[in-house]
Parts: sequence; structure tokens; C-alpha cells
Amino acid sequence: MGEYKMNKRNRTLSGFIMHIMIFLLILPLLVLVVWSFSKSWPWPNIFPQEFGLRGILHVLDPSSRALKSLLLSIRLSLVVTIVTLILSIPAAKTLGVYSFKGKQFIKMLVLAPIIVPPVAVGMGIHLTFIRLGLANRFIGVVLVHLIPCLPYGIRILTDVFEIIGESMEQQARVLGANSIQTFTNITLPLIAPGLISAGSLVFIVSFSQYFLTFLIGGGRIITFPMMMFPYIQSGDRMMASAYSMVFILATLVVLIMMEKAIKSYYSTKNYFYL
Amino acid sequence: MKKTIKPYIMLLPAMTILLGIFVAGLSMAFLQSLGYFPTIGLQEFTLNYYKEVLTDHGFLTSLRFSLWIAFVSSSVSVVLGVLLAYSIVKSKHKKGLEEIVYKLPVIVPHVVATLLVYNILGQSGIIARMAYALGFISQQSEFPALLFDKNGFGIILAYVWKGTPFIAMVVYTVLSNMNNRLSEVALNLGATNKQVFWHVLIPLTMPSIFSSFIIIFAFSFGAYEVPFLIGPTAPRALPVQAYAEYMNADLRHRPYTMTINMVLTFISFLCIWIYHKTFKLLNKYNG
Repeated sequence: MGEYKMNKRNRTLSGFIMHIMIFLLILPLLVLVVWSFSKSWPWPNIFPQEFGLRGILHVLDPSSRALKSLLLSIRLSLVVTIVTLILSIPAAKTLGVYSFKGKQFIKMLVLAPIIVPPVAVGMGIHLTFIRLGLANRFIGVVLVHLIPCLPYGIRILTDVFEIIGESMEQQARVLGANSIQTFTNITLPLIAPGLISAGSLVFIVSFSQYFLTFLIGGGRIITFPMMMFPYIQSGDRMMASAYSMVFILATLVVLIMMEKAIKSYYSTKNYFYL
Repeated sequence: MKKTIKPYIMLLPAMTILLGIFVAGLSMAFLQSLGYFPTIGLQEFTLNYYKEVLTDHGFLTSLRFSLWIAFVSSSVSVVLGVLLAYSIVKSKHKKGLEEIVYKLPVIVPHVVATLLVYNILGQSGIIARMAYALGFISQQSEFPALLFDKNGFGIILAYVWKGTPFIAMVVYTVLSNMNNRLSEVALNLGATNKQVFWHVLIPLTMPSIFSSFIIIFAFSFGAYEVPFLIGPTAPRALPVQAYAEYMNADLRHRPYTMTINMVLTFISFLCIWIYHKTFKLLNKYNG
């Protein structure tokens, strides 16, 4: 009886701690939402004096540079995502299925860009990019974004390949499918869920990149985080919050569309994991 | 023969990028830190730049500041993250809530996390306004300057806001996949909930907690945006200092920049090594 009471008390306490912590994590975002819809919110008011859409409308105005940079950012990060996935699939299959000499070393090398500061890598490669004519250009920024993105793409897909193994593909080959048929009809549908999670994370990493874009893009490739930066730096809360809101919503929309696209493409071939 | 080459061929595209940009970039930075920079006529290898940088007072202060930020923010994130994960598992509420908690901070970039801290903790932030309304302070400047301060309080908070859900997600995944039997056996043998937490759950989750600690430690040690936006001008965080040196118009200054970058890289390699060691430990436990 006593024990039962204890357990119940413990559970209420855990629930209480959980709700407090979740509230504290969400609260700053709520303040952000309020700021982005405020028109005038002077010190020391706890609530805005007037609400308005000026900030949001400024960001979404078709003639503004903000919207242009948002579209550029989405295009850039989608290209980065696709290239990362294309490079990651064969690498991940190798790391997940085959055993070969130097595998441990390659696994460490693949992880390294998550941990080594982009500041060091970026400054080290900058001069070479300038010489090769890659700096200040879209392609240069795509290439440099691959560095922080590849580790996530390869890691997630390696886990997927470790689970599914190679048996399905071998069966298809035995039954006479060529390697292209096997890849499009067997491998891709099997790893589709992994492609969604790897693709989402890679898109997020690329979309929120600031330093590498700024350094290699040289102020010519102006992505959305770069448009947002000066407003945060100067403490313009309303504009910075509006930019942030649009940033978060755009990410969500792209991720949902990406998931839908991959799912609908493979739903007809979904017979493996019914 | 064909079989032995195949893995390497499939790795080739990704490795070309990693070697051609990541490894090449670091190697170039390394050569320049040793004084080899033919572009401006420096051809002789020397350790002088390391000697100068490593004894420079400003550099050492920056290094200490960056290590402090990284250590405190990752430790606090781990404690709060474990607490959050544990309380979610314990309270057995309906699914869904925690999903939002994990996902949102992943989507919100560090630049925005900085703004969140600024909105809340700045001298005209929401807490300062509440303090005014409650009569604790009579004007903005009386509210303690928590941003841009020497202890990096605002920076740490931004990292904690990003780090806590990440740790919670890792620990929650391990806890919910973990076999319940061990906890039940311990409870049956008369252990209290507290004892189960400290002597069963914590040791079992320790390797994954530690490796995620390393990841957020390395990140907050090497990231540029947050300390640039809400950090103090003195001491500067190491990545901010490195970029400030990089912008020096005098190219002969470059080797100093690259030496700082090499220190950043060296410490992150140390983190990778520790991470690798923990993973070996993890496999030992699971096997």
C-alpha cells in the first residue's frame, strides 16, 4: 500500500518536472512568436502595445531581398541534400555491409567533420577555392556545405544498411535482375525511410549553415541566415523574430514536402515492409 | 581481386569530397601554421608561430574562455537532458509531446537560439520587464548584464537550450529500448527508485551519455555564431578570435590565424579519440 503511494507520488513528481522543463524549453519560442507579430512593444511593457504583420510581410514581400534569399537558400540546401544523398548511398552501403581493410579509419574520418570546427576547415580551404574559381559562387558554397552534411548522411544510411543487409539484393540478382534494376527496385525502396530521415537532417544542417556560406560565398551568395544575422546583431527584435519565424516555418514546409515526395514515390513499391 | 577493390570504389565519391576539401583544408592550414605559405614567399618551416601563440596571454585567455563555455554548457545540458528523459519515461504520459520537444530545437538554428536568449535575458528582455513590473529594478540598466559578459552566461544558455533536448533524445531512446527486467530485479530485491536510477539506469546509459557529451562539447567549443553575437569583446571565444585574425589585411599575419585553427583542430581530434574509445566501451557492454 505504502509502496503504491510512493510510486504514484514519484510519477506525479516526474510529470511535474517534465512539464516544467518542456515549458522552459518552449517558452522562448512563444516569446519569439509574439515578437514577430508585434508592431510596437516598448520597454517596460510585458505585452506588446500593438500587434501587426509588418515584420512578416517585409520578409515575404515578393520584391524584397529577403524572399529572394529565402528561395536561394531553399534551392541551395535542396541541391546539397540531393548531392549528399547520392554520395552517401554507396559509401553507407560499403560501411554497413562489407568488411574491408581500413574500415575503422574511414568511419572515424566520416565522423570527423561533425567535431572539427568549420572555422578551421573553411579558412584552410578558402584560398584554394579562390584559386579554383569556386569562391563567391553557388557551386563553391554547395561543395563546402557537403563537409558538415556528409557525416549525417553517411551515418544514418550506414545504420539502415546494417539492418537490411544484402540478402534481398542478392535474391534479386539470383532471379536475374541486373544491377540497375536491383538498385531502383530493391535497394531504393528498402532504404526510403532512411532517405527521409537522412535527407531531413542534411537539409536542416545545410539550411542553418552560417559561417561557411559567409566565408566561401564571400557576400555574393546571400542565404536566409545571412539576411537574418544583421538584425540579430543590431538587436532589432521584431525583424529578427519575423525572420526566425519564417525560417522555422520554411524548414517545416520543406521537410514535410520532402517526406511526402519520397513516400508517394515509393508507396506503390511498398510491399516489403507491410 | 574485383571483390577486394569494390568497397573502395564505392567509397570513392564521398572520400574525394572529404579528402579534397576537409583533409586538404586542414592540411593547408597546418602547413601555414608551420610558416610554409609560398603565396607570400614564406618557405621555411618553423615552430616560432606556435611558440608565440601558445605563450600569448590573449590567446590563453580565449582558449580558457572557449573551454569554459564548452564544458559548462555541455555538463548542464547532460544533467538537464538526463533529468528530462528520465522524467518522460517515468511519467508514462501519452506519446507525442516529447516528439515536439526533440524536433523543435533541431530545426531552430544556433543563430535563432541566440535571438531566443537575447529576447529573454537581455537588459530589455522579458525577464527584465517582469523584474521591473514587480518593482525589483527601476530601470533597464539595473538588470544584470547577462549577455556580452565575461563569464559567457548568455552563450552557455543558448547552447544549453540546444543541447538539453539532444541529450534527452539520446538518453530517452536508450532508456526506452532498454530491457526493463534489470530495473525490476533491482526493485524486487528491495532497491529504492533512487538506487535503481543511480546504480542501474545511469551506468547502462553512461556510454551514450558520454559520447553525446563529446559531440556537443566539440560543437560549442568550435562554433562561431553564438559567441560572435552575444559574447564579450574580451575575452573573445577562440573561433571568433581566429576569424578576427583572418581578416587582418596583412597576409604575413596568416600563420598566427592558422596556429589558432590548429589548436581548435587538435582539441577536436582529442574529442574524436575519446569518442572512439567510448564507443569501444559501449560495444563491450552490449556484447
